[in-house]
Amino acid sequence: MSEQKVNDLVIIGAGPAALSAAIYTTREDIQTLLYEKAVPGGLISTTDWVDNYPGFPDGIAGLELAENMRKQAERFGAVIEMGEVTDVKKEANGNIKLDTTDGEVFAKTVLIATGSGYRKIGVPGEEEYYARGVHYCATCDGAFYRDKKLVVVGGGNSAVQEAIFLTRFASHIDMLVRSDFRASDILVDRLEKEFKDKITVHKQTTTDQIIGEKIDNIDRVTKVVGTDKASGKQVEFQTDGVFVFVGLDPNTGFLKETAVELDEIDFVKSDDSLETSISGVFVAGDCRSGATMQIATAVGEGATAALRIREYLEG
Amino acid sequence: MAKKITIYTTNTCAYCGMVKKYLGNKGHEFEEINIDQQPHRQQEALEISGALTVPVTVVTREDDSQSVIVGWNLSQLAPALG
Repeated sequence: MSEQKVNDLVIIGAGPAALSAAIYTTREDIQTLLYEKAVPGGLISTTDWVDNYPGFPDGIAGLELAENMRKQAERFGAVIEMGEVTDVKKEANGNIKLDTTDGEVFAKTVLIATGSGYRKIGVPGEEEYYARGVHYCATCDGAFYRDKKLVVVGGGNSAVQEAIFLTRFASHIDMLVRSDFRASDILVDRLEKEFKDKITVHKQTTTDQIIGEKIDNIDRVTKVVGTDKASGKQVEFQTDGVFVFVGLDPNTGFLKETAVELDEIDFVKSDDSLETSISGVFVAGDCRSGATMQIATAVGEGATAALRIREYLEG
Repeated sequence: MAKKITIYTTNTCAYCGMVKKYLGNKGHEFEEINIDQQPHRQQEALEISGALTVPVTVVTREDDSQSVIVGWNLSQLAPALG
C-alpha cells in the first residue's frame, strides 16, 4: 500500500487571506495546497473597484487585484486546486483529514479562509427570481440591464460602490436603504454629488417583496414592494431587476458538523494565535469570529496565520 | 466529445475567466460572445439559459445534443465536455 501524502498546509479558500498566507508559507518553503470552490480572489474578483487597499493610489479593479494576488502566491509555489472541502477531522496520528470533492486529502496544518458571501434579504420573490431579476454580482449581471430601471438594496460600501458601477448600464436606480448609509463618507459624497441624477436614494425604506411576471415566456422582475418606515406606508418601485448588497455571511456551512467551533452567528472561533478549537487548524479573514470584513485586514490575518502555522510546524 | 463550445461573457465577470481558463487548460477551443461588445446578442444568452447572468456555456456534442451551463459550475461543466 502506498504511503499517504501529507501536505504541510492545506488552505481552504483562495481569497485575500488565503493567498496572503500562501505567499508567506511558500516563501518559507512550507508546501502549500489551496482548495477553492468558486474563483481565486473570492469576493474581490466580483468587485468592480477597490479604492481602500494600500499601494494603489488610484484604486484597482477587484479582478486585477485578485489576479495579482493569485500570481504572486503561485510564483512562490502555491498550488490552487478547484474543489470543495466538505469535512475537517483530526486524526489519531495528529494529521488532519479533509474530505474534498476530489477525495481525501491529508495535512499537518489547515487554514480555514473561506471568506464570506453576500447575504440574502430573505423576502418573498428573492429566491424565485434569483438570476432572473434578483442578483448579487453587479460585474457579472449588470450588462443585462442596459437602459433598464434597477433597484439596489443596501447602504454599505458594497451597495454604494456597486450602485455606482451599475449606472454604466441602468437608466435609473432606486436605492433602498433600510436605515441610513453605513458606507464611507467619501463614497456617499461621490454618490450624492456625481450620480444624483441617476440614483435616487430612499432611506428608512425596507424591502419587503419582489414581484415579477412572465414576459415573453421568461420570468422577469417587475417591481419591489417596501415600507417607508417614517410614514409606515407601503411603497412600490417599478423595476427590471434588483441587486442585493445587504451584508456578508461566513462561508462556514461545511464546518457545522465538525469539531471546529463556531460562534452564534456561524463565524469560526479562534484564540489569539488564530488557532481554532482543533489543534493545527487555523482561521483567517472574513469567516473568523471578530473579522472586520476588509481586504486589508484579511491580508494581515493571512500573514499572521502563516507565521503561527510556521511556529506550529516547527513544534 | 464536444463539437462546439460557445461562452457568453462580459468584460468584468470573474467567473467567465474561470470557465475560459478551465476550457483552455483542458485543450478545448471555444467561441466567446462578449455581450459588452455585442449587446445585441444578450437576448440570445437569455433565451438559451433563461437567466440574466453570465457566464453561459453551451456545449454542443457530435450528435447535436446540447448542455447549457449557467455560471461557473464545474460539477456540470466537466461531465458536459465528455
